Amino acid sequence: MNKPVIKIENLTVDYITEENPIKAVHDVTFEIFSGEIFGLVGESGSGKSTVVQAMMRILPPPALISNGKVIINDKDILTSSDSDIVGFRWKQISIVMQSALNALNPVLSVREQIQDVLKTHKNLIGIDADKRAKELLSLVEIDHDRLDSFPHQLSGGMKQRIVIAIALAIMPPIIIMDEPTTALDVIVEREIIAKVIDLRKKLGLTILFITHDLNLLLEFADRLAIMKNGKIVELDTVENIYAGGKHHYTKKLIGSIPSASGKRQKGLLSKPNSLNLSKSPILEVRNLKKVFQSPGFFNKNKLVAVNDISFKVHKGEIVGIVGESGSGKSTVAKLVTRLIRPSEGFIYLNGENKKVAESRDVPLQYRKDVQMVFQDPFGSLNSIHTVYHHLSRPLFRHRLKNKEEMLSYIIDLLEKVGLTPGEKFAEKFPHEMSGGERQRVAIARALSLEPKIVVADEPTSMLDVSIRMEVLEIFAKMRIKSNLTVLFITHDLASARYLADRIIVLKDGSIIEENDSEKLIQNPKENYTKQLIRAASPGWLSELTN
Amino acid sequence: MISNKNVYQKSILARWISGIIGNQKAFIGSCIILFFGVSAIFIPPFIQSPTDFLSTPLLPPSFEYFFGTNGQGQDVFAQTICGARQTLFVGFSAGILVVIIGALIGGIAGYYGGRIDDILSLLINVFLVMPGLPLMVILASWLPPSPGTLLGVLVLTGWAWNARVIRSQMMTFKNRDFVSAAIVSGESNIRIIIIEIMPRMLSLLASSFIGASIYSIGAQVGLEFLGLGDVSTVTWGTNLYWASNNLALLTESWWTFVPTGFCIALISFALTLINFGIDEVSNPRLISEKLWRNKVPENLITHGITPVSNSNE
Repeated sequence: MNKPVIKIENLTVDYITEENPIKAVHDVTFEIFSGEIFGLVGESGSGKSTVVQAMMRILPPPALISNGKVIINDKDILTSSDSDIVGFRWKQISIVMQSALNALNPVLSVREQIQDVLKTHKNLIGIDADKRAKELLSLVEIDHDRLDSFPHQLSGGMKQRIVIAIALAIMPPIIIMDEPTTALDVIVEREIIAKVIDLRKKLGLTILFITHDLNLLLEFADRLAIMKNGKIVELDTVENIYAGGKHHYTKKLIGSIPSASGKRQKGLLSKPNSLNLSKSPILEVRNLKKVFQSPGFFNKNKLVAVNDISFKVHKGEIVGIVGESGSGKSTVAKLVTRLIRPSEGFIYLNGENKKVAESRDVPLQYRKDVQMVFQDPFGSLNSIHTVYHHLSRPLFRHRLKNKEEMLSYIIDLLEKVGLTPGEKFAEKFPHEMSGGERQRVAIARALSLEPKIVVADEPTSMLDVSIRMEVLEIFAKMRIKSNLTVLFITHDLASARYLADRIIVLKDGSIIEENDSEKLIQNPKENYTKQLIRAASPGWLSELTN
Repeated sequence: MISNKNVYQKSILARWISGIIGNQKAFIGSCIILFFGVSAIFIPPFIQSPTDFLSTPLLPPSFEYFFGTNGQGQDVFAQTICGARQTLFVGFSAGILVVIIGALIGGIAGYYGGRIDDILSLLINVFLVMPGLPLMVILASWLPPSPGTLLGVLVLTGWAWNARVIRSQMMTFKNRDFVSAAIVSGESNIRIIIIEIMPRMLSLLASSFIGASIYSIGAQVGLEFLGLGDVSTVTWGTNLYWASNNLALLTESWWTFVPTGFCIALISFALTLINFGIDEVSNPRLISEKLWRNKVPENLITHGITPVSNSNE
């Protein structure tokens, strides 16, 4: 670690608009030394991906690099000629893109995609290229048989490894990884990171790692830069940042990371002093099963998404359902809210043997009593309607409020979920609000009918890290204040630990473990639960690499 | 204080109107259409009747007869202006009907899925595979000639493609979260389709309408040119029919068909302009890329490489 391989000075990137250009990246300066893992952390819109794409000069219109210097391996990128830059990409520096899972061409086999790079940049063909492709697969520990597979035949983790292998194809000394693991499950993500660390040791790579997940970088980066609104607010070694950092934004980020192991942190989310649960459950699900049949008359493919699930939720309780993608947790949410019909089983609401599971039409009363908060706040609000429309429609529909009462009720509701002043927000359109504000509106909509139970399907996974806890706090507070019942569905064991009283762990459509949150965290019985806990706790990397 | 109504209006209508007016292409296109519409409605009372036999046949254009006279000695200018009435009326009506029927059938098929979709898709597919032109010719010659017949024939042969497009668009919307959210809050299906989904399809519906109108005007003129319309009425199609019957090409009387042909081309051109405009209004990326091209000096732009402004060096 002596001389910098990447040197960026005062980099400024403008996005051209009708009026003044928007500065997406403003005066960013940093250096990366040889063999280092440098982390760039920021939330969505902070400009972290823009920095990297400007470095490679692959930003699409309407971007313009308006100032600064980028020197990579003593080469000034911003003044180089076009042909120089094309030759420079991939040979000196390669990039693993954000949507890496979609980066593979679906109609080409893995072999063809690797050989394509080898041919273009090194003119390697035939047996030599084949040999090299096999070497690359061994490097990321994928079986050679997979060379003739097509992307759809590979799992997410395998695709990600192949994308990394392609980036390594001609051994560039520097690799940029732009959110390479965002679309993956926690356990797979951890394995990929361990692989990257391993490769770096073997090949002496310099890595620039970009992510929104500070928690992840704290494990393995050497130095970190934290970006906000196009500027670097703090740049320091991992140790110093882990200790809390200097900038208040860093402190906020560090403070908002829950951990799935160790002692429970105090004050992260409010909790009632004691739980007084009634004997009879408010929601009971018995032997629920959902089988998806592929469309088509002759198609016999069946997928059992949810297999024989039973659980109870009591009034005033928050129950977490935790599972990775494909575990059937979203299907459970859709079944309970009756967006889809169960293939078998029963749903009882409020102890009254109201068997909603069997009927094709859902009673209106059930629609009032069971509400849902969706994962994606950008998708769950209709972009052509105002907040007022979104909140007033359910109330009109169930004839709960008349026109005169409506506005004051809605303003009150908006202020309850932290959107003040309420009258300002009532007339906004979804695109005029940030992701966090939208999700608050979505929560307000779910609460507006005073439902018996709210199903929250990953309500924070699309939000920025620093506001996740604030959004979860709305649920925690409403529970204390008005005895709200929540079914909290998430992939993140750590946040379930803090919000939920009881956790149900789901795998491959079945419940594998269920216990009170703290008991489950402290004494997991199943191996899978242990794995999940380990992946969500600090120090996982050292266990994996040893 | 806010009231529900004006906020709602601000959303769709204002955005669209300001978008269309602000967009050069759409604005020019709208002006041309408006010009034809206004002249077809208001000018005829003030000019010669297009069916009167006025003068010597096949007089070339002069100050008395701007576009000359045709083979029967009728005023071509009056025929061109008055011909727009029925042609545009039938064309745009067919456009609207095609969109409404397409939205209804395609929307219902896409939204409900399952058995309903199977049946409606079958219907759509049957109409899609039927050869349109021969069917149109047969129906038009078999049914009594009238504007209503033409309209019916055009709609019957034109709705299926539209329904197909709207069906697939509906299928993608159906699984969006905002639709699920409306279902969970207890909204009725019809309300979800009309209030929540259809406004989101506005650009698709608008460009479908324009496409269907261009098709209808073209097909209608074609049918009438073949003599399958009511030849006693004055439309752009019958103008061309009579021009060809009176051997306009042999007698070298170009003025009997050029004005009508030019008008048809101009209408299609205007509609296409509006279509481009809608595309730009509903797809902001096209605009921002255009802006970027205008503002960044040309010598800096190379394909695939982000430009660096050298202003501070």
